Amino acid sequence: MERVTATEVPPHGPEADVVVHEVVRPPLSLRTRLTSGLVLVAVGAVCALLLGLSATARAQADFVLSPQDPHLSVSLPARATCVVLGVVVALLGAWQAARGWSREAMRWVLAVTLLCFVLSFLCWAVTGAPGTSFDLLGLLQNTILTAVPLILGALAGVLCERSGVINVAIEGQMLAGAFAGALVASLAGNGYVGIVGAVVAGALMGLLLALFAIRYLVNQVVLGVVLNVFALGLTGFMYDALMQPNADALNLPKTFDPIALPVLSKIPVLGPLLFEANIIVYLMYLLIIAVDVALFRTRWGLRTRAVGEHPLAADTVGIKVLAMRYRNVMLGGAVAGLAGAYLTIGSVGAFSKNISSGKGFIALAAVIFGRWSPRGAIAAALLFGFTDALATLLSFTQTPVTIPTNLLLMLPYLATVFAVAGLVGRVQAPGADGEPYVKE
Amino acid sequence: MTATPVNESSVTRTDVDLIAPEQPDLPSRLGPGSRYALVSTLGYVASLAIFGVLVAVKGVEPISVYHTIISSTLLNGDAVAQTALRAIPIGLAALAVAVPARAGLINVGGEGQLIMGAVAATGIGVAIGAQVPGALSWAAMCISGALAGALWAAVSGVLRTWLGASEAVTTLLLNFIANDVMLYLIYQAWKDPHGSGQPQSRPLAHAAQLPKIFGSQLNIGVLIALVVVAVTWFLLQRTGWGFQLRVVGGNTEAARRAGLRVNSLLLSSMAVGGALAGLGGALNLAGVETQLRPDITLTFGYVAFLASFLGRHQPVKVIGAALLFSAVALSGNGLQITDGLDGTIVEILLALIVAVPLVVANYRRRAA
Repeated sequence: MERVTATEVPPHGPEADVVVHEVVRPPLSLRTRLTSGLVLVAVGAVCALLLGLSATARAQADFVLSPQDPHLSVSLPARATCVVLGVVVALLGAWQAARGWSREAMRWVLAVTLLCFVLSFLCWAVTGAPGTSFDLLGLLQNTILTAVPLILGALAGVLCERSGVINVAIEGQMLAGAFAGALVASLAGNGYVGIVGAVVAGALMGLLLALFAIRYLVNQVVLGVVLNVFALGLTGFMYDALMQPNADALNLPKTFDPIALPVLSKIPVLGPLLFEANIIVYLMYLLIIAVDVALFRTRWGLRTRAVGEHPLAADTVGIKVLAMRYRNVMLGGAVAGLAGAYLTIGSVGAFSKNISSGKGFIALAAVIFGRWSPRGAIAAALLFGFTDALATLLSFTQTPVTIPTNLLLMLPYLATVFAVAGLVGRVQAPGADGEPYVKE
Repeated sequence: MTATPVNESSVTRTDVDLIAPEQPDLPSRLGPGSRYALVSTLGYVASLAIFGVLVAVKGVEPISVYHTIISSTLLNGDAVAQTALRAIPIGLAALAVAVPARAGLINVGGEGQLIMGAVAATGIGVAIGAQVPGALSWAAMCISGALAGALWAAVSGVLRTWLGASEAVTTLLLNFIANDVMLYLIYQAWKDPHGSGQPQSRPLAHAAQLPKIFGSQLNIGVLIALVVVAVTWFLLQRTGWGFQLRVVGGNTEAARRAGLRVNSLLLSSMAVGGALAGLGGALNLAGVETQLRPDITLTFGYVAFLASFLGRHQPVKVIGAALLFSAVALSGNGLQITDGLDGTIVEILLALIVAVPLVVANYRRRAA
């Protein structure tokens, strides 16, 4: 049985002692406990038996962490590792079935299970062809590359939704940013100007969202979808009418070169992973810190959250609800525009139709999956990025059983569904998310 | 503070009623109905004008574009038939959004459910189509399509009711997964060995394709869809199940306290919605496409999402919106062929057309 303590100030004045209530949460039902425990045992069995025993006997699973430094490679006996990891998961599951983990511990149990499963899967996958090694650093690098637009998009979503406006239009804002980034960077011959262009374009899309959602009180979910369609049509049209005929002048931006930070890039593994990136990635680091700190440690953040949870209360204490929302939605749009810039001038260069290809929707899922907190959203985006990079890597690796490439492509989505369902479960949106505020 | 408990919401409501409604600033001599009509008309004219300007930028005569839009969707029997045929998957997928929406669920998965319906219909149709009489294989394809769609949607329903996972997220993600499943089948398992160029599945036998009605371009899928729409309307408006869905959608907690089985209602609304979309995918495949190919849904699922919201989740209005969107989407082909414009330009028109009633609806709400 689990106890949660809640403190409450008694009604007769703040100087009186704080009363501590004990709220008793009902324990998990036997059925839930047994089912979840048995599921874990089954996962353990899959790791130990299916993966472990089908891995080539006595094969070593080599993981390369740094191509330059041979000391940073890990070599594990594949079968034994799978079996050990499987047994760990099975034991965790057995404990859940027999005694039950607390809710807090269960999150960690699930995280450990996921990790064990991924590790044993990697051990299994690498034994398909003798002598191959797994480029773990490359895998992590690709994780970050895939995750950058998702993280930026998710931050855009968090900024809007914490202030009470649902942002389904992240995709459209990204697309506008990608287009404007490529166009402006080509025209100016300067990537930094391109970034400014992308951010402005994203912010304008954000303004459109804000205007219709806040002033005209349009249903925000539909509005977002409409704006996505609009952005898709508009960028597609301008690409055909404007860019394509003069591709050399208008769609040939220079991409950013990676910048190695002086000391930090020399750190083994982490250096090449995090500190040899281009300017947009560094901007993303800054934004992550800025949003996380600003949202929970500053007056602006408190006001944003107040406006998103209970606009009437915020209005009562003199916060300008609508102004806060306009500002936040435009900020969000600007960040999504930056995500778009990463898609063109931050990586491939030229714009092509529908270049965002659903990344905005994944970012939106990451916002919800991350419970509307920047950290959660980043974790979700990284999970997606990791499984996506893994799928790409596996399609080039000879695994003991060949997995069709098209089925590998669904891996990130599948992993995200599992994570949403298993790790996250019920989520609570900000109180006034999607509710327009009309002053009486 | 009064000693006796007063129902606060009722007090506020009376207070609001007592306050005279705010005078709208548009021509006030007209009644609210004609004012609404005036504003909507202005909105549509404005959106067509914006579209005309964009087209003119590209160097095409706007008048000719409007003419193409009308002639490629309305002016002859074949064009009308094409509009109706394309409205089948859009309309049924839109109902797949509308039914769960009654219970307060957001189903973004029309696309995936359409795909799974088409996949199941292909599987069954290719397997038995050549051996059994047509009617039997149509029935088998429709049923398997509906079942596949229902199962696909039920996955999200189960994740929502058992684990509390947001159905908006899981249905969205399942769209991508469905697409990958379909691509796997097209590229590998079901690849047409005789096909050249674009990869596609083996085609349906001629007997398994839905027959045309009296030599027109329409096939019997239109009739099946009409019957299904009528049944859906009846289910939602005239049965206890439909009423209970609305109760759950209105206030889940109240419904639970009133003894409704909320979880099974949520789950059944998702499954019924998925079955509708799955059937839409199956009818589209058996009647129009006849073989599975990439991009078979042409993002119908997302257009359907808009149609459902535009029709305020009411079956008849939703179908009207689906017909409109079908016409707009179809006019893209006409513009491409006649005026040399790129087909994506109709996306702009679509967005403009949807934006008008969304904005105007709130104008009406404020004016009333």
